[in-house]
Amino acid sequence: MKRLLAMTVALVLPLSLAACGTKGGAETNTGSADGVQTGVGVTDSQITLGVMADLSGPFKSLSTAITHGNELWVKDLNASGGVCGRQVKLEIVDHGYKAETAKTLYPQLEPKVLGFVQLTGSPIMAALGKDIETDKVTTTPASWSSELLGNPYVMIVGTTYDVEMIDGLSYLQKQGLLKDGDAVGHIYVDGEYGANGLRGSKYYAEQHNLKLSEVKITSTDTDLTNVVTGLKGKGVKAILLTTTPKQTGSAAAASKALGLNVPILGNNPSFDPALLQSPAASALNKLYIVASSVPYSADIPKAKEIAQKYQAAGYKEPPNAGVPYGYAVAEVWGSVLRKACDNKDLTRDGIHKAMQQTTSADTEGLVAALNFGSPGAPATRQVYVAQPDASVPGGTKYVQQLFEADQAKTYKAPHEQ
Amino acid sequence: MTTFLQLMVNGLGKGAVFALLALGFVVIYKATEVVNFAHGSLVLFGGYLVLVTKDHIGWAAAAIIGILSAGLLALAVERLLLARSRHADPFSLALLTIGVDVIITEEIIRRLGVSVPFIGDAWDAKPIQLGGITLFRTHLVALLVATVLITAFFLASRYTNWGIAMRAQAENREAAALVGIRSSRVTASAWLLAGLLAGIAVLFIATQDFSGAGLSRGTHSIALAAFPAAILGGLDSTVGAIVGGVAVGLVDALSTYYVSFAFAKSAVFLVMLVVLVVRPAGLFGTRETTRV
Repeated sequence: MKRLLAMTVALVLPLSLAACGTKGGAETNTGSADGVQTGVGVTDSQITLGVMADLSGPFKSLSTAITHGNELWVKDLNASGGVCGRQVKLEIVDHGYKAETAKTLYPQLEPKVLGFVQLTGSPIMAALGKDIETDKVTTTPASWSSELLGNPYVMIVGTTYDVEMIDGLSYLQKQGLLKDGDAVGHIYVDGEYGANGLRGSKYYAEQHNLKLSEVKITSTDTDLTNVVTGLKGKGVKAILLTTTPKQTGSAAAASKALGLNVPILGNNPSFDPALLQSPAASALNKLYIVASSVPYSADIPKAKEIAQKYQAAGYKEPPNAGVPYGYAVAEVWGSVLRKACDNKDLTRDGIHKAMQQTTSADTEGLVAALNFGSPGAPATRQVYVAQPDASVPGGTKYVQQLFEADQAKTYKAPHEQ
Repeated sequence: MTTFLQLMVNGLGKGAVFALLALGFVVIYKATEVVNFAHGSLVLFGGYLVLVTKDHIGWAAAAIIGILSAGLLALAVERLLLARSRHADPFSLALLTIGVDVIITEEIIRRLGVSVPFIGDAWDAKPIQLGGITLFRTHLVALLVATVLITAFFLASRYTNWGIAMRAQAENREAAALVGIRSSRVTASAWLLAGLLAGIAVLFIATQDFSGAGLSRGTHSIALAAFPAAILGGLDSTVGAIVGGVAVGLVDALSTYYVSFAFAKSAVFLVMLVVLVVRPAGLFGTRETTRV
């Protein structure tokens, strides 16, 4: 029995290997034939951008869609002659939402790319943040935590989780679904994603005397029945979710089964249209998703155009809001690249400078207008509110057009100057 | 009070499935003293076959195929791998099962790709309301199935030749062999039975009601989470498997609310440690005595 116990302990305690390594971020700048300075990831004919996606982990549906959005933009751009006389190429890797995998992949990818057009996942950003800063790689995380804005090389396209929560709570209150002094439960995953969402709900709760019950979970938990049973016991009037889509399904299904039936407000990564095919589908009618990018089936010309291109490209995955978002992000990168080209500087330093000069990136309504000119502040505070709808491609339809809550205007993000 | 009752109901429902899983560990351990760490992969294998067949032959037939396949896989693992190392130490064989587990699990996860399919079509997410309490249908069916199966196992181990042979072998392998009990047959049947139990358990695990997730790596983790249940109850005790399973379900549910969700995960292991300190062989396990 003793030996058995020892063996159990050895098996149950996971082994962790700490990867370490240091590396300088120096790059050699060279001039090219067209007089544009170039560096890592740029040749006379090609610009290579990196994508570190989660194609197999908890956010695979969202991240795969964002990747396809990125690809569609690259296809469009290259068809129209590229940028700065160069074609754009994507180098795509899958880290499966595992920081240790990302740590191994990064040193292989970084020397090949000018910047990262997608880097999915808060834990991944947390693991690579220092490297990104040292290597001066401008990066668009598919992770919307305002804590990341402390890193000058991070370019968040859209608003941040904290602001999403503030805007979302304000929406619920305006709809009469919540009132001052109510009890509210917030289920959030540990790490930066959850913590940032919670920062927003706490701010709003203070302003409106909401009694906030916080429940911390991890990204691999899937059954929230006991948690929701507990929240029901506390008489909550709304459930807030900064969770994975599976967890959203569980919370919604439990809420309905237990007869709680209160509105559920989720940050943008908390929904996946695949939920509409799951046993939780019938429980999603109380779910509200807050995001600063449009749903896939949004009734705006650019979104429709991208939807058509997605269908034409023959991707096998069902689309979601990640597709227009991925396209929009890449479009913002397009603006930055064009500005850097005008500045005759396609080095990493040149990209960083061009990003800061981008004070009004326009994505034709795919994402609220963005201003990267104020370091530390979210580039926008506007959001859409959407609800699941199985009848439309992409699985969501908006119930509230772009808006910004008063409380979001006064909110100060952690690194805002 | 309603919250407490609801938590008890949640815990009992989950406990029934944990008991089925723990019984799988116990059956093999009793017959062979080997801890089967491949139990999680048997669970996944059964679930995977349900998944690939259910759209063609209907859920019920697919469920039967899944259950039988998990049983046959367990039998194959025993006959083709373990039986060949007859004189190996049980701990070496336990390590061998880890190898089997990794290979089967990774292959199924690879085949699943990006999908996380639910397989409890027959009853998933259709709750029944009773007073202020919600009875999850998956839990109810699991409770019923577990009660029937465990009772049947009890009766079989007490009154059938097979049961008596197994108990004799568990008591003293050499003496059992001397009185003509065919050890290989007892061992093989124990593995087959454990596999069948794994195939049944997965029908409840990969559901919205039970795990909130379909067939995935998480299903495997849940199957292994039944290990503390088996240890807690005593690895060689059928009663222990039931008590351990229910204890794991209840401790998880109650500590989520009364302490915290984060604590609930370690609570089960904490209870296991406390039990092992007081009773090293588990609550109902046979204490080993060695003459010195």
